Amino acid sequence: MPMSSPLPSPMALNKPQSPSMFKKRSTQSLAPTSAASYLSALSQADARARNGNPTSSPTSTPALSLSSSVTSSSEDTVLNEFELDNVDGLSLPMHPPTSEQVFTTVHSEFGHCANEEYRLTSQHTPGALVTGHVDQDPPYYILLSTYISYLILIVLGHIRDFIGKRLKSGAYKHLMPRDGYAPLNSDFDSFYTRRLKTRMDECFSQPVTGVAGRTILLLDRISPDYNHTQIFTGTRTRALNISSYNYLGFAQGRGGCADAVEESIKRYGISSCGSRLEGGSSDLHTASEALVARFVGMEDALISSMGFATNSTIIPALVGKGCLVISDELNHASIRFGVRISGAVVRMFKHNDMKSLENLLKEVISQGQPKTHRPWKKILIIVEGLYSMEGTLVNLPAIIELKKKYKSTLRLTVGDAYNHPGPAPSSSLPLWLSLPPSLLSGTEGDTRIRRLAFNSRYLHNGLIKLGFITYGHPASPIVPILLFNPGKMNMFHRMMKDRQTPIVVVVVAYPATPLVTSRVRFCVSAAHTKDDIDCVLRACDDIGDVLDLKHGIPKGERWTIEDVVSRAADVANL
Amino acid sequence: MESATTTLEPLFAFLAHSLTTVESTFNKLPGSAVILRYVRSSHQNDPGRTLLELILVIFAIRTLLQSRTRADRNGKHFIQFSDKEVDELVDEWTPEPLGQPLTAQEQADLGAVPIVAGPNGPKPKLVSSGKTALNLASFNFTGLAGNEDIKQKAVDTLRKYGLGSCGPPGFYGTLDVHMDLERDIADFLGTEASILYSQGFSTISSVIPAFCKRGDIIVADRGVNFAIQKGIQISRSTVRWFDHNDLKSLDEVLEGVEKERKKRRGPLTRRFIITEGIFEKDGAMVDLPKLIELKYKHKYRLILDESFSFGAVGRTGRGLTELYNVPASKVDMLLGSVAIGLCSAGGFCAGSQIVVDHQRINGPSFVFSASMPALLAVSASEGINILRSTPSILTALQENVRAARAILDRVDCITIPSHPASPVIHIHVRSPSSPAASSLHPATASVMSPKHHHSNPSSILPRDASKWNWDIEGEERMLQDVVEECLAQGVMVTRAKRLRGQEMVEARPSLRLALTSALTKKETEKAVGVVKAALVKVISRRR
Repeated sequence: MPMSSPLPSPMALNKPQSPSMFKKRSTQSLAPTSAASYLSALSQADARARNGNPTSSPTSTPALSLSSSVTSSSEDTVLNEFELDNVDGLSLPMHPPTSEQVFTTVHSEFGHCANEEYRLTSQHTPGALVTGHVDQDPPYYILLSTYISYLILIVLGHIRDFIGKRLKSGAYKHLMPRDGYAPLNSDFDSFYTRRLKTRMDECFSQPVTGVAGRTILLLDRISPDYNHTQIFTGTRTRALNISSYNYLGFAQGRGGCADAVEESIKRYGISSCGSRLEGGSSDLHTASEALVARFVGMEDALISSMGFATNSTIIPALVGKGCLVISDELNHASIRFGVRISGAVVRMFKHNDMKSLENLLKEVISQGQPKTHRPWKKILIIVEGLYSMEGTLVNLPAIIELKKKYKSTLRLTVGDAYNHPGPAPSSSLPLWLSLPPSLLSGTEGDTRIRRLAFNSRYLHNGLIKLGFITYGHPASPIVPILLFNPGKMNMFHRMMKDRQTPIVVVVVAYPATPLVTSRVRFCVSAAHTKDDIDCVLRACDDIGDVLDLKHGIPKGERWTIEDVVSRAADVANL
Repeated sequence: MESATTTLEPLFAFLAHSLTTVESTFNKLPGSAVILRYVRSSHQNDPGRTLLELILVIFAIRTLLQSRTRADRNGKHFIQFSDKEVDELVDEWTPEPLGQPLTAQEQADLGAVPIVAGPNGPKPKLVSSGKTALNLASFNFTGLAGNEDIKQKAVDTLRKYGLGSCGPPGFYGTLDVHMDLERDIADFLGTEASILYSQGFSTISSVIPAFCKRGDIIVADRGVNFAIQKGIQISRSTVRWFDHNDLKSLDEVLEGVEKERKKRRGPLTRRFIITEGIFEKDGAMVDLPKLIELKYKHKYRLILDESFSFGAVGRTGRGLTELYNVPASKVDMLLGSVAIGLCSAGGFCAGSQIVVDHQRINGPSFVFSASMPALLAVSASEGINILRSTPSILTALQENVRAARAILDRVDCITIPSHPASPVIHIHVRSPSSPAASSLHPATASVMSPKHHHSNPSSILPRDASKWNWDIEGEERMLQDVVEECLAQGVMVTRAKRLRGQEMVEARPSLRLALTSALTKKETEKAVGVVKAALVKVISRRR
């Protein structure tokens, strides 16, 4: 590990000889590893990251401080199994690096982008009003054709069921009562799955392999029988990945984080062999909980082994009978699951609507519990930081005002918002063990955050300028485009995948969204380069014309794709 | 009068004009003539009907316009307050704190939780003492934790796949290694297919609501674990309970349910039996062949949670189906824990292709959570390979179980509700007042009561619940003393931790040993000997 970095790591300050924390612990006596020692080192690193303005660091890319260079093919990624013909433009950067630019990442996992113009810091000015998102309505013919599409799908489905049950009863056996067993799946409950979702199954559950980084390898499949079975062809396609939750681009097979994980596997194994209270607690748990708490600025933190379980099992510990949960109407399924098993009463308010929340708070506090009118024991407001289907950020300043005013407790779920662009000093990283200095000091994290912020705003504003209807906050890395008609989802997905540079996208429809607002959801990452976002914008522009998707700003105000691409920095700063 | 007519004239003209416009547009609409004819003729036949239909239309519009939110603003319990009153009420309201500060006892418990420095395994180093201890607390039945081959595979996978899968299975989170592991599990058990969940605890509480809906019938064991209770609770199905691990009671309950249905002439709904292979609460083991016989007899589907028996019993660790030599395909939904059985993470549900495919769309924690990291899936696959090729691991584990039971069964002051073959051994303090009867939490077999006296199947509490007189706090303190005494002697054991107040029925405090094949027979005997000495010492001191 090179120690000649301009920003020495805190570990290096404490004990210059020790190459890693593990070593350090094994050489010292096994004193209780207190969180305090981690934290003091951490705050030093934070302070350093804050003082040293990263934009004026001696090198244009922070990765420069490392001597080794990794070209686009490396010995132990899936990449080298293929010849690098670069027909899809994904394996090699569009602008070859100059001799001064050295990148430590694999381009297909974390894109090479040295241009400082394509960085952005997004920050909320304290006291400024948070502007809510204004929904744009599509023309009426779109709405009408959407409803008609669903109507046709439903009618056709019922006709097929009706005829099929009489003529081809063998195919419906699993939906009929048989030998005294009720069907596992009633035909009413599964109607949507059988008759609507099956039609577009090629968009879902696509198996992949390799790192879910900037690009991803698809295992190609075909369906000979209208999606009832899928057959793997044995070939693989590399596609630009704008679908995975990889905000800061740490999904990498190499680099500091992966190295730290490797070391921890070698030393700790992969299993804790039990629940935390029954002999499964490790010193690593203590350390990373302290770290998470420090990062988010809280007293303490609890780590759960699964995202879904965090909500579904911790909410019942906080509220129970006689308590009220006030939940945003678009909260994630895990929150609903948790609230339902907690036994608390639930009331919902309109998505991100502070007025509606305030009225509801007034009502529930003054009315008390239903029937008895006793005061509520506790009122818990549950919101998400970033909504995974909408891309909206919660209006935190306003909601904290309300919380104070009405004395409720606020629980913010940041599952999706974690690592979202913000100016926080980011020296804290998931496994803070033996990270290279650029990671430990926070410079790399900072670059990644600024790349993410640029990419998010560029894509979001670019799509708006091209005439699409989008949802959500421009700074959010989740960018949905509304498609409306169900038939367009399949087409959009296929057209994106069949381009010369294949792009994989997530399309979502009812029941994950309201019936009419089917959408495609992009999930931007710091791993994307400006060229990648250009590529997505160009693809959307082409397909948007074919599928008639541009119903946003009026024609006169729209920009051409060339304008958007050439003035990217302006677009991002809009 | 004259002037009024003249001033209103433009208005009348406008009305007449708009009326003709509306009429002509209406006539232009296709099919309008039919409607007109229909209205006319119906009005001619029965003027009252027109009125009725008009009212219906108005009612329909009103219903549509009503707010969709469930606000009970118009409910009869809603009280109208003025704004000032509302403000006062808001000012007056003081909520309880979100969490109560921990009691001294809870704080002591939390402080006593052992923290392992470095890798966990048969002989971990503890942060508190800095010494190694023999581990009888962690689940590592087959000694896969820390296996060098597995670690190497995990590192290789890390380099190829990165760490996280970064998405739910539906959206580019399904990796080839997940499909491989699913196939490996299905092949290992002998089922058509299997599905992988990314956390063990969430598996069953997700599988149950995927199949059991409102109106369906669940017949469950009174002693099922917390995760199953949560799954049952969220399913909103009708639940009937049978006495813990008592298949005679199950038979009776099943008959009762059928009688009830016939009496009500209710429709045929889905019916499920939910129980565990080896029970998390006391280590008892279900009689699988008998259970399957009952399931077929009454035409129920069986959801069997093998979290603590998969990778723990059977010749190669396939669980109860291997132990009793029953084809796994006879169990409709067979659940197991990859975290416990294979020392990786997550859980699985094996069954027919239809059962598995249904969960891919309906299992909440499958659909809404990121899939498990690739390296954990590969590690689990490698674990299965090891179990398959080395049956000696399970033989060694059983040797250790027998050795441990040989020591513990001779201790007077305790009772052991666990099955003799179970590598999870629960130990209760024998209460002097009521000897054997209450040693097992929910009522023991009906053999105990000579009079045939049934529990109420709608309640999870067994018939003798009112007679329970365990001193939960006292027993827990006593067992905690045993834990600490053992730790001082270099053996790590644990109490079975419970969420008191959150479970449907309180479980009796117990000390839990989890044996492992990674310790030799000698080491196991030594460790269990220490536990025995600690038990005798602490319990005799208390009396």
